[in-house]
Amino acid sequence: MARRTTIGIGLDIGSTTTKGILVDSSGTVLAASLVTTGASAPIAARHVMDELSQTSGKELTGLPIITTGYGRTSVEFAHETVTEITCHSMGVHSLNPDIRLLIDVGGQDSKVIRIGPNGRPTDFELNDKCSAGTGRFLEVMARVLEVSIDDLGPLALRSTSPSTISSTCTVFAESEVVGRIGTGAAPADIAAGAHLAMAGKVATLAKRVGLVTPVGVTGGVALNPAFRHYLSKQLNSSLWMPDKPQLTGALGAAILAVKR
Amino acid sequence: MGQEERHTEEKVYRQLRANSLLQEIMLRYMMEGQAASEQGKLAWVTSGFPVEIPVTMGVNVSYPEQYGAIIGSQKVGPEICGFAEELGYSQELCSYARSSIGSVRYPEKSPLDGLPKPQALLACNNICGTVLRWYDAVSQMTGAPVFLFDTPPTEGDQPSHHREYVRQSVLRLIDFLSRTFHTSFSEERLRKVGELSGEAIDLWTRSLKACRNRPSPLNCADRFLAMAPIVALRGTEPAIEFYQALLEEVQERVSQGLGAIRDERIRLLWDDIPPWFTIFRFFNGLAARGVVFPADTYTHAWSGSLAGADLLDSVVSVYSNVYLNKGLEAKVDKMCELIKEYSLDGFIMFSVRSCKRYSLGQLVSKELVMERTGVPGVVIEGDMVDSRLFNDAQIQTRLDALLEMFL
Ligand code: SF4
Repeated sequence: MARRTTIGIGLDIGSTTTKGILVDSSGTVLAASLVTTGASAPIAARHVMDELSQTSGKELTGLPIITTGYGRTSVEFAHETVTEITCHSMGVHSLNPDIRLLIDVGGQDSKVIRIGPNGRPTDFELNDKCSAGTGRFLEVMARVLEVSIDDLGPLALRSTSPSTISSTCTVFAESEVVGRIGTGAAPADIAAGAHLAMAGKVATLAKRVGLVTPVGVTGGVALNPAFRHYLSKQLNSSLWMPDKPQLTGALGAAILAVKR
Repeated sequence: MGQEERHTEEKVYRQLRANSLLQEIMLRYMMEGQAASEQGKLAWVTSGFPVEIPVTMGVNVSYPEQYGAIIGSQKVGPEICGFAEELGYSQELCSYARSSIGSVRYPEKSPLDGLPKPQALLACNNICGTVLRWYDAVSQMTGAPVFLFDTPPTEGDQPSHHREYVRQSVLRLIDFLSRTFHTSFSEERLRKVGELSGEAIDLWTRSLKACRNRPSPLNCADRFLAMAPIVALRGTEPAIEFYQALLEEVQERVSQGLGAIRDERIRLLWDDIPPWFTIFRFFNGLAARGVVFPADTYTHAWSGSLAGADLLDSVVSVYSNVYLNKGLEAKVDKMCELIKEYSLDGFIMFSVRSCKRYSLGQLVSKELVMERTGVPGVVIEGDMVDSRLFNDAQIQTRLDALLEMFL
């Protein structure tokens, strides 16, 4: 970088959505954007850059950009790429420095990160090989139950007796749910069972890294109240969630960009 | 490979001069194997087999696992494993076994036209139980008889009845080889072979230990290639010739302060078998980022020498106590010991889908090693031969995240 700057840009290019954040050196968010990644990560990233520029009213040319997420290497205008593990860790640390264990559940993966006192990760585990335990699992369940993904969580919370969904595989769980519908189980109970199964998978991953409270949750799936409810029960711990849990990766990237 | 990439590789990595001698020795070894097979004197052996016994008795040996590594390096693993899968073998079966069975089925479609045909199959289960069934399958296809050298797993001290049992296996082995190959055994010759074997192991161990230096004179890929004679040629003169040359070069590097990689910044431990199909790309890619591997659990596994008044007893204890025949606790101890001894900053555990014996328990050991040493580690998943099981992007994210911890 030719000149020192006090503003940095973080782009989190995930498989489902692309997120962007513009922060200044005090950590204040000047603009944020979230778009669907679609078929082209570079196009989505451009789109996010345009939105950041419009919202903040700032010219972004020349500002340091760090990309993260699975598409992090697909954008040629980035100055550096950093993994989502470090970025989420830094992002959450800037919002709540007490958090030592972070559970991030996105559309296609879930990760559990132990955060060190300086905000850097000290250990982590990823589940990115199997869609059970990720947002994709809930999307499939919502489709089978014919409700929107946003309504699935609230529906599940109405249940008093969750169905048992024993399969830990999305494909098999789908047929299991179809079977439950066939035997007349209430949609709310089935939805609750699906959340329970998924939260169980995520909790296992978390326990592998080691439970340290307080626990933070981020990622798009964190917005789902039933997921938080069942995860909190499984871990026997309350969960802290930032206002915009999908944006912490981009926030961490932006903070690192300012420090560059 | 593009011009630019080659240039970077030249910059990050120092080629060993001894590699040309290695190639020469291994080529000669393969030709001897071919000739032995034609004379009806070739046995296939597993990597942890007490090879000094057949060598003493004038029986040549070939290593299907080493051949598996060749299949992997030539990037034809999926194809050759596929031949075994067509025969009905599961994709879950070890890819050394699958590639071996596949190449026995279609030698003409396999690298080097397959391993030379064996007259006996010598399996020792101190590395895993898979080898027995694998050799049974090859036996069905080739007609060569199988000998099982049974070494029950050891946990702590080996009880005397256990030693006696393994000792009986040595005697049975001598008997089996005498009958199969019409040859004889002499303790005097075993002592000579044991001495040669011990000398090679000693030279090799000294090269390994030299990696305690900063910068480390050898990187992972160097050791994985250089270990070929310690596996295949234990008890022979060429192995000693090579390890002498290697040690000289290693000592020269140490005295001149030259590292295996040009810019050593992070020192890591490697656990498990390497991904043969991408071994240079993988380790040189990390070398370009300043990462060197001064130690690994794999090439350190060949360390026991035959010695003492009771040579057969020495065979029993060396081959019962190989790394994979011991419990998880011993593996954790070994990793912690290597991390300390070689001043390592962290570790990478390659969870090899094929090898349950090596890879089972890695998630638990990872936590234990981190706790005991205070350095971070990561588990990446894949396979040593079957590149279909190796997901580059997922592995890259884990490696990047580990390296970011050192920033
Ligand atoms: S299962 Fe493991 S120890 Fe056994 S042959 Fe395969 S790689 Fe070797």
